Amino acid sequence: MVMKKAMLVFVSLLLAVLQAACSYEASKPADSSTIKVAYRYSGPNTGTEKWLKKVKQTFEERHPGKKVEIIPIQASEGTFFAKLALMMKSADTAPDVVAEDTFMINADAAAGYIEPLTERVKGWDDWDNFNDRVKKGVTTQDGSIYGVPFSTDTRGIWYNKNIFKKAGLPVPWQPENWNDILTAARTIKEKVPGVTPFWSFTGRATGEATAMQTFEMLLYGTDDPLYDEKRDKWVVKSPGILHALRFIDHIYSNGLGPPLSQVLNGTAGNTLAEQSMPEEKVAMALHGSFLSGSWVEGGPAPWPEGTKVYGFAPMPTERGQDPGKISLSGGWALSISAKSKHKDLAWEFIKLATNKENNKYYVLNEGDLTPRDDVAEDPEYQNAPGRNFQQSTEFLEFTDFRPGNEDYPAVSTKIQIAVESVATGKASPEQAMEQYAQSVEALVGPENVMKKE
Amino acid sequence: MMAIELVHEKSSQRNLSNAGSLEKKGKREHVRSILFLLPSWILLLLFFFAPILLTILFSFTNMSLTGSAARDMDFVGFKNFVTMFSDPSFRISVLNTMVFLIFSAILGQQVLGFTLASLMRERSRSFRRIIGTVVMAGWVTPEVVVAFVWFAFFSDQGTANVVLESVGLKPVAWLYQFPMVSVVIANIWHGTAFSMLVYQAALDDVPKEVEEAAKIDGATGWQRLWHVTLPIIRGSISTNMVLITLQTLGLFTLIYALTGGGPGTETETLPIFMYNQAFINYQLGYGTAISLVLLVIGMIASLTYIRLLKLKT
Amino acid sequence: MSRKGGLRLNRSTFNRVVPYVILSLIGVMFLMPLLWVLFAAVDPQAQLSLKVPRGVTLDNFQAILTDPATQMSFVNGLFLSVGQSVLVVIVAGLAAYPLSRYQLNYKKPFMYTILFATALPITAVMVPVYQLFILLNFVDSLVMTMLFLTASSLPYAIWIMKNFMDSVPVELEEAAWVDGASVWRGLRSVIIPLMLPGVFTVSIFTFTSSWGNFFVPFILIQSPDKLPASVTIYQFFGQYGLVEYGKLAAFSILYAIPAVIMYIIGQRYMSQGFNFGGATKG
Repeated sequence: MVMKKAMLVFVSLLLAVLQAACSYEASKPADSSTIKVAYRYSGPNTGTEKWLKKVKQTFEERHPGKKVEIIPIQASEGTFFAKLALMMKSADTAPDVVAEDTFMINADAAAGYIEPLTERVKGWDDWDNFNDRVKKGVTTQDGSIYGVPFSTDTRGIWYNKNIFKKAGLPVPWQPENWNDILTAARTIKEKVPGVTPFWSFTGRATGEATAMQTFEMLLYGTDDPLYDEKRDKWVVKSPGILHALRFIDHIYSNGLGPPLSQVLNGTAGNTLAEQSMPEEKVAMALHGSFLSGSWVEGGPAPWPEGTKVYGFAPMPTERGQDPGKISLSGGWALSISAKSKHKDLAWEFIKLATNKENNKYYVLNEGDLTPRDDVAEDPEYQNAPGRNFQQSTEFLEFTDFRPGNEDYPAVSTKIQIAVESVATGKASPEQAMEQYAQSVEALVGPENVMKKE
Repeated sequence: MMAIELVHEKSSQRNLSNAGSLEKKGKREHVRSILFLLPSWILLLLFFFAPILLTILFSFTNMSLTGSAARDMDFVGFKNFVTMFSDPSFRISVLNTMVFLIFSAILGQQVLGFTLASLMRERSRSFRRIIGTVVMAGWVTPEVVVAFVWFAFFSDQGTANVVLESVGLKPVAWLYQFPMVSVVIANIWHGTAFSMLVYQAALDDVPKEVEEAAKIDGATGWQRLWHVTLPIIRGSISTNMVLITLQTLGLFTLIYALTGGGPGTETETLPIFMYNQAFINYQLGYGTAISLVLLVIGMIASLTYIRLLKLKT
Repeated sequence: MSRKGGLRLNRSTFNRVVPYVILSLIGVMFLMPLLWVLFAAVDPQAQLSLKVPRGVTLDNFQAILTDPATQMSFVNGLFLSVGQSVLVVIVAGLAAYPLSRYQLNYKKPFMYTILFATALPITAVMVPVYQLFILLNFVDSLVMTMLFLTASSLPYAIWIMKNFMDSVPVELEEAAWVDGASVWRGLRSVIIPLMLPGVFTVSIFTFTSSWGNFFVPFILIQSPDKLPASVTIYQFFGQYGLVEYGKLAAFSILYAIPAVIMYIIGQRYMSQGFNFGGATKG
């Protein structure tokens, strides 16, 4: 009798705890009239944040009773895409609209995380205003469209004119080959002590930026591709890979690069744009056109003179071979999560966010290039103070894109390991290439790789 | 005394009166025990044994976090394990795990923990308390904070370099030039208190007379330690060894927050490797196969632990 | 003779001093990293190296404490850890009773399974657990995360609770029932006082390990407003850790406080957990 009562006390206690727990959880409801928009939070006052807030306000005015919840995802660039994939996998956590880097579009489309928009853009007049080259980035191999681009970019070398003058180097500067870059770096090290001669993303923590902005900017200037489009195979061993890794090795083993403790962590890009460059402590930075976005009025580190102090030079090919200079372009797009319960509303949000007015607002605040031809021709955009939109846009003429292969994101992580191992001196360029070859082969299967001697 | 005897009597009386219904009582106990054990069973089956079964199942699939394999996973036989043994990163992470385990746990924490415990015997009470508290602080500190503390300590302008510079040495980029040393030191700092407590308890059980007798026989300190003390606390040593091995094998947060497994793959132990493969390289199936390897190592250590406890009783 | 005697004297002084020196050195080495957190948290110009602060400020603490997202994460963390501790005590307590009191033919294999499970590293199963959560649609649920954490600490909790219960004499307990004590009195006067050390040990161990657990919520919880403090402090480190040392140190201290308090309360119970010499029985 007594034991039964004791048992009853315990069990009811158990149920009470569970019930309390559930009601606590339920106090964080997902409102059915709310659409959720997820983006990567990279720090306060970014143009992305301001733009989304502006669109939210307009959207809520136009759709009374509907709410927009902006979800900033705090993750380093290396972990953001995995985090986003985890969220999109389950209907309970899937945001309705996601800001995707276009290099993830193929993989996430293949995974069924994002919704094809091919039918929707057909009935959308505004779609014709988007640049055809940029549209490629959101189109999968079968021709389906999976996102509406809101930005694009080009890459090159930001160089500090004051430091170059001090070192006796020519301004404006245009390197003809890799050797010119290394020579300039050595000269700066010698003549202007206390500055970092050559800066580029190097760590696993900075994820895709390390693979694309450092390794691929080098590799695409050699004779060897990352991915052989004709044979549909990854080139895992080639003189080009070796040369690219040797370049990185040369930078770090000769003290021409930034301190490892600064460049190997997830916030390396912020430190560069918001501290080292405004303090003029960096002579050259291999970076994107969007870098100056940090310096706009009201941005994270306002510095309107930034684009006067720093010039933007195209990256040369290895030996100056054709086409002489190269660039890489990526960009971001808004996509609809396949698990979204408000796809029509989400589409309304995307249309609003990427219209001429809002896209102009975004690019003026963030520093990315516009994917819209009509914004590109707008004088307010072309002559935006503290910007170099015109010059960056010229780079689009010789720019290249990353392989549109669903395995790319995973291969990219192997590139990041190779770059970091070489930069920290933990592996020679040869060893790092060997490890890269073996791990990519393990990843995609031996039938999908090839080696070039 | 009286009360307890009274109790005894009463209960035996009750047992007597119940003798006839002993079978009934056994049945009732059986039913009741099932009811009592039910919540545990449900939770353990759902969240403990099901994941273990799933580990075995999923490690034979190509499950992925993105890409077409995220939509339809396939059974791929032993492919993940074949990949694993040809993957240089796996070999490196096994090696890293062993180095980390041996230097931070088996040598570092055990030796330091024992040294502390044995030196603290016979010291003044207040001194023991101060040293004990300081060492315990490292243990009480949550792992994420341990990582920050050592991140600051080993950073370019951190305390370690200030000390080096004060004796005229060049500063070192600890986390990049000596990453394994750094995580090993951080883990020794975090984990030593556990071994210290175990050895304090063990040494308290060593009879004073035995040590005194050895002393009178003219045994030196080292001889006493080697021939008298250590054999007596042998049981505690092996149990402690297995327990800290298990703790260290499962360690994720400290390394993840301090070095992220880098630079390159320098501090990528098996848990970090597993996480990176599953959640950064998007290969959930492959990551699960690594889980299985970790699990099997854990099971072997766990069985050793049970065996050790059994030997003692 | 005199030489030998002198040596012995030196030696014994030496023997007495050396342990103090070694222990003090170890103590200083353990203290140094810790002092940095304490000093940096109150230093208006915190640096990465250990130095005595120029002034004392509570601005860092204020900045952390007034941030609504941080407050939320502490509430979430307490919810997970307190909820888990209470559940573990109840569920393990229920399970320990028949295991300690009744003759069950499956007791021995059950206890060995429990012991075996105690030692398994949960880190190893996190990838499949994540997949399980996806299958059952549990992802991002604090309650399910709490139940998972409860299950993961059940084995050792059952083990400890059973051992504590074994040490409570059956006779004492039966007396209370036979005396016709009410349930509440029976619980209050017999079970609870006698089981209190066990309950304390289990709940303190559970709470601290749960409060410090970063990996499990990091994998299972996705929404920013559901994250516990262990994850938000890590994110803070990634975002500002390399700039705002003072705030990071203050956050670290605030975050460590609940664990420290629990250890202080639990100190007297803890020593019992570390004797592997004799107290273990199967």
